[in-house]
Amino acid sequence: MHETIVAESLGKQFPGGVEAVRDVSFTVASSEIYGFLGPNGAGKTTTTSILTTLLRPTRGRAEVAGFDVSDRPEAVRRRIGLVFQKSTADGDLTGRENLEIAAGLCGISRIDARPRIRDLLERMDLTNVADRLVRTYSGGMQRRLEVAVGTIQEPEVLFLDEPTLGLDPQGRAGFWKYIRDLRADDHVTIFLSTHYLDEADQLCDRLSVIDRGAVVASGTPGELKERIGGDTVEVTTAGDSADISGALAAVPGILSVTRTGRFYRLKCQKGETLVAKVALAIPPTGAEVLSLVVRKPSLDDVFLEMTGRAYREDEEPNGSRNDRPHPPGRDG
Amino acid sequence: MWREFVTVFRREYLKWVRVPIWVSAYFVIPFVYLILFGQAFNLDKLLPVGAPADSLRPALLGAPDYFSYFTAGMVGFVILTSALYAGTGVLFDKQLGIQSRMSAMPAPRTALFAGTLVFRSVMAVFPAFLAIAFGLAFAHVPGLVGLTVSGPVSAVGVFEIVLAAFLLSIMFTALFLAFGYALDKNEAYFGITSLLNLPILITSNVMFPQATMPGWLQAVAAYNPVSLAVNVVRENLFATEGYPYGPAVYLLGLAAWAALLIALALLVAARELRAH
Repeated sequence: MHETIVAESLGKQFPGGVEAVRDVSFTVASSEIYGFLGPNGAGKTTTTSILTTLLRPTRGRAEVAGFDVSDRPEAVRRRIGLVFQKSTADGDLTGRENLEIAAGLCGISRIDARPRIRDLLERMDLTNVADRLVRTYSGGMQRRLEVAVGTIQEPEVLFLDEPTLGLDPQGRAGFWKYIRDLRADDHVTIFLSTHYLDEADQLCDRLSVIDRGAVVASGTPGELKERIGGDTVEVTTAGDSADISGALAAVPGILSVTRTGRFYRLKCQKGETLVAKVALAIPPTGAEVLSLVVRKPSLDDVFLEMTGRAYREDEEPNGSRNDRPHPPGRDG
Repeated sequence: MWREFVTVFRREYLKWVRVPIWVSAYFVIPFVYLILFGQAFNLDKLLPVGAPADSLRPALLGAPDYFSYFTAGMVGFVILTSALYAGTGVLFDKQLGIQSRMSAMPAPRTALFAGTLVFRSVMAVFPAFLAIAFGLAFAHVPGLVGLTVSGPVSAVGVFEIVLAAFLLSIMFTALFLAFGYALDKNEAYFGITSLLNLPILITSNVMFPQATMPGWLQAVAAYNPVSLAVNVVRENLFATEGYPYGPAVYLLGLAAWAALLIALALLVAARELRAH
């Protein structure tokens, strides 16, 4: 299994000093679905743009499909496909025309393009709407057309930049199926940047977690979650209760207790077997329990563990997070 | 390279025909200029009562009347006006992310530029010939003045007119495409184009005979590419009188302008389309 994408200490500083990417290194093996997970503004799009030759790195180097992105951009462009966050199809053209134009720009003759386009329309369930203007397409149809355009030259590597942004859950699940099929049928290496934790978890073989321009963790979703070390029991007490950390830590099997106000995170193995014991340990302290929850580790926890901040903190575009109601303990 | 060029050309065409307002504008612009401007703004009517009808002829360098002189000049002005919008497609492609998508494709950058340049240039030429056609038609409409051509125009003459129009069209298309590539904001683009439009017109011989201008303006008008193209048109449509050079010299001047502006636009486009 050879490496299809190699990124070594990539950095990108824009004129004006903004450093969108500080230190990004990872490798992606052939036919892998690789996730690039991070909150908005973490540097995902900048990294994708460097790997797809749209931006030049100011530091480090990257290789895609065996070619250096800075030295041999033309060779890289012949071997990649790119699906952007936003639809970039021409609304005034039909779906078929958009694909014909894309094929032409990839140097594919009209005769060779015809069966390829027919096949792509079929696979993306767009045959019925192929001759309609794209501006009449639904969001899901536009996304699928975008993938069809991105795969027109049968790329070795397909880059997807937040491909399911704005799709409803049904649309997203359907989209994941297309991506899985693409890998299964064509053995395309897929690089997927996303800020959806569940998307990275369900779709990706391996992933890197990126935060503030740097990779903070890499591995399979399972490995990353294992690093968190087992389950968490979350206890929330009523507002006027005293600190019960001591009583909670004394429960046999509880490995550690982290308290944030009236919210406690108890690390343990097999949380479901301990929750009853935790419940019994609280009444003697006089504290009133509002909730008691066992959580299996999620990528959410991975992010919290790696960055010291809750994932959703950075997700809101406006700086109003302090006066917004949020789950206790999530505000670090 | 050829395939990619044809693809860009086709895309421009498809986008153009899907916007009916563009298509109709190509007919309306020359018509409106000739009807409103040409009929109302007629220097012949400023002549004092009793002056001979052809008093202006010496200044018009052989054109039989002012409207004919003006209509030939419209060839240059209509091309300039049509080319003004050449950069808008690039501007919108940039804003919609379409340019990024095309940049990530293997098509040579010069093909992306050349396909747009050639399509837009060809499209900006057509209204100029419509202007001549409308002018000729007006001559047969009672109550309107029309274009009078002095004698039959030779095949070489027609070729020279078409070549002059195309050279003028491609140079202005290149210029405004360059603004489209260089600028990010629509306001900046339209600000600059409308700022350039009038000075280029006024410093040419489209409306006013060069002989009537002050010396310094005559010098500017002599090198203004619109004047050069219009000279070729007038020399071929009207009996040649008082032009210092033949059409070939003006065509050479136009070719030099075109080469300069295309090279400039190519540099700007290449700079914009490469990775930053």
